[in-house]
Amino acid sequence: MENIEQNKEMTAQQSLNIISQMINDSRRTILQSSAKHFMLWGGLLIVVSLLIFWLWQSSGNPIWNVAWFVMPALGFPMVRILERKETDVPQNKINMNIGLIWLTYCIFAVLISVIAMLWVPMNISLIIVVLVGFAECISGFLLKNWAITISGFIIGIGGAVMASALLGAEQLLIFTVCGIMLVVTGLIIKSQYK
Amino acid sequence: MLPKLDPLLHSELRLAVMSILAGVEDAEFSYLKKQTGATSGNLSVQIEKLSAAGYISVEKGFKGKVPCTTCKITTEGLDAFEKYVNALKEYLI
Repeated sequence: MENIEQNKEMTAQQSLNIISQMINDSRRTILQSSAKHFMLWGGLLIVVSLLIFWLWQSSGNPIWNVAWFVMPALGFPMVRILERKETDVPQNKINMNIGLIWLTYCIFAVLISVIAMLWVPMNISLIIVVLVGFAECISGFLLKNWAITISGFIIGIGGAVMASALLGAEQLLIFTVCGIMLVVTGLIIKSQYK
Repeated sequence: MLPKLDPLLHSELRLAVMSILAGVEDAEFSYLKKQTGATSGNLSVQIEKLSAAGYISVEKGFKGKVPCTTCKITTEGLDAFEKYVNALKEYLI
């Protein structure tokens, strides 16, 4: 953008142009940065789900589901590295709320998984896939992006149906699809705010 | 009669800084510099003026071992910015 160095006289229209340009540029920078988070978590979800699928298929033992805990253990340090590279990008209301939604999702997913594994057996895949769809949907509404909102509905509702219909290791492929949709969400945000 | 425009905000760089700060929680000096394309010297002077007027608060600290200046718009600054934008609209009617 053109440097703003001179405190020259401005017309009302020029003032409004500066305001809208600054707000839009800043919003674009901030939201482009949040796109990287979608791609990081989506990529991690693809890798971990495929890894567990392969381990479960080859050993025939569902115990490999324990490896899901690799996601937060690897994901959060990776987020810290990512944020260290973009130290000065501030937070606005949209990316703060999106961050809170996905953090809440993460807490729900980890706690439900622990409870299901240790105390009360339940269809973890179904619950988690509905939560992913829900979080994706709200992210789409906040970003005013229909593609993301619709993909949230597809993940949540389609995933719930698939989680009930599929059994065993094949359920894991639902999460691979979720991961792909998260990466696509990141790419959509990136292109939307280019 | 048209309303008088706040002279403190009716300046390109100060207005740009206030516009950015109005949309974020807070912003570091380096971010404001990058977004406005201003020189460090000029930006420092304008930030000082906005801070002296009570429109923004400036916090100086460290990020690791690197000095870091963080700016945040105050309630007073937000009110002034809102009044300025409303006044501008009247000029355009």
